Amino acid sequence: MADAESLLEQAGYEVDFPLEQVCCGQPAFNAGHRAAARRVARTFVRAFSRDRPVVCASGSCATMVAHYLPELLGCEPYEVWELSAFLAQAESTLPARNAGCSLAYHDSCHMLRELGIAEEPRRLLERSGAQLVPLPRPDLCCGFGGTFSVRQPEISVAMADEKLAGARDADALVTADPGCLMHLRARAARTGAPRVIHLATALARGANP
Amino acid sequence: MTELAQVEERFRRVAQASLANPHSQEAADAATQRMLEGRTTAWADLPDVETLRERAHEIRMRTISDLDRHLADFTAAFEARGGKVHFARTAEEANEYIVDVCRRVGAQLVAKSKSMASEEIRVNEALEAAGIRPVECDLGEYILQLAQEHPIHIILPAIEKTAADVAELFSAVEGAPVSPELEELAAAARRQLRKVFLSADVGLTGANFAVSKTGSLCLVTNEGNGGLVTSLPNVHIALLGMERLVPTLDDLAVLLQLLPRSATGQKLTSYTRIFTGPRRAGEVDGPEELHVVILDNGRSNLRGGRYEEMLACIRCGACLNVCPVYRKAGGGAYGPVYSGPMAAVLVPLLVGLERAPALPHASSLCGACTVACPVKIPLHELLLELRKDLVEERVASARERLGFTLWSLAWSRPSLYRASTFLARLASRLGGRFGPGRTWTLGRELPVLARRRFRDLR
Repeated sequence: MADAESLLEQAGYEVDFPLEQVCCGQPAFNAGHRAAARRVARTFVRAFSRDRPVVCASGSCATMVAHYLPELLGCEPYEVWELSAFLAQAESTLPARNAGCSLAYHDSCHMLRELGIAEEPRRLLERSGAQLVPLPRPDLCCGFGGTFSVRQPEISVAMADEKLAGARDADALVTADPGCLMHLRARAARTGAPRVIHLATALARGANP
Repeated sequence: MTELAQVEERFRRVAQASLANPHSQEAADAATQRMLEGRTTAWADLPDVETLRERAHEIRMRTISDLDRHLADFTAAFEARGGKVHFARTAEEANEYIVDVCRRVGAQLVAKSKSMASEEIRVNEALEAAGIRPVECDLGEYILQLAQEHPIHIILPAIEKTAADVAELFSAVEGAPVSPELEELAAAARRQLRKVFLSADVGLTGANFAVSKTGSLCLVTNEGNGGLVTSLPNVHIALLGMERLVPTLDDLAVLLQLLPRSATGQKLTSYTRIFTGPRRAGEVDGPEELHVVILDNGRSNLRGGRYEEMLACIRCGACLNVCPVYRKAGGGAYGPVYSGPMAAVLVPLLVGLERAPALPHASSLCGACTVACPVKIPLHELLLELRKDLVEERVASARERLGFTLWSLAWSRPSLYRASTFLARLASRLGGRFGPGRTWTLGRELPVLARRRFRDLR
């Protein structure tokens, strides 16, 4: 979050972090628990005003807020941006923190298919000096899928293994979705390598520790 | 109908076995990759695949929303050409009619072409129980029948069988060794099946589509067995899912541009047969009797509601080939007949959610299926809707419902939300010992949380 904030500030924006914000309700929504999702989402909506764009450092949260929240609550839509799409349109300069670094980028399914954002994060990483290593099947889900990860843990982990194996030759695997990040990183911690980091961190601090 | 049902834990159990079998994994990877590449190339060669998909969706939905009229039109046209129509509400009714026809004509041998609907109603078992021998004439299905197994892919039913497996099965039939060379195997299959074609009393097929205006049935195959099964025996029975109608031959042409391309990557299958009525005076081939059994078997449950779009499915298998969960879990996990995302949506709707409660959750909701569907069924959105129904109809466990309610009570209050993210730091060491945390840590470490929360830095 601090990395996302610093990137936005570097791009010349003033960042407001509403302290009353909570989860957007997606975990419950995707598991079918609409009433629970609605309860949480209502608080979310109270915390965010509509007079400035909402930027989300998560492809799936951005999808929830942009696509499903208005339908779930019957509320006005937000102007909501996924972080990399917002930074790409801002066209700010990015310091070359990833010069000489080879990075693999993992598309979050929501970001790729619901928001149609695939090029922006890759372009940002390249602008930060990174050399991109293509994943063998960039369209494949990493296996997180919210409650899917604990309902079908064996399949979920096997999908993560395939994704992680594809990033073998990169210095790190970068993703713009905290769900994918948590799952892939947790699996990599069990099996060793590669490192998995958030796009905001890669851009703000560089992918190498 | 209950043949499709499965208990909660079955999916995970079958998937575990598939994951532990490197041969299953390789077979699924190779087959889905090949089919996926085929479809992608075939779609790219179309001038405007998006417009074509929209037209196909429109045709399917227009027909389905007025299905009674189309069924009546089809029936009238089919019977005017001398065919007989039987409407079967259930699998049992369909089997009963098929067995009756076979008995009436004194049939001993039934030659079958590939049909998922026939798998759905388990007609082979019904025929065998009546002392009639059904023989599958599609190569993949024939292999499975010899092995006494069920299809694990809609289009490629026997992807896990190796040449050696097939040689063993064929050798048993011939009573002499058949070598596992492809030419040898093809020759053996031809030898064995040719006898069936020539001596079968009844041909039993599915139907990919039926045209309501002309009363025609359409059957697409690649091995030619469909042609032999529909023209050599004196009696032909076609089993048609009640939703597989299209209004006109022009509409059929739109769907035929998409079905083979989406299924196998072909512009057309080797054989596309459209037949209208039994043999007429002066014609040299074709059956003397032509029956169509129109099958409901739960399909009516989908009509007019939120799930009606699922009736647009043309059984091409494109959603299986893109599905990462299907690739890992294998087709058997979804049940004995249908598999992949289309099964995860369709089966609970056919048999009732409480009889297939794991299927709507057998997906990471990645949405690849929706993008691949040639008739634009929003498969992953329908899965979301089914999950909602699981909760609202209280099929989801009380524990799960209570968990989410408590979660929402806490996280809808900013103070408790903050407290919970703080507590998460304290509790993370215990997290791996109970409930979902324990399942999570079967193959993963627990997340390492930042030392300080972003909100505390401000």
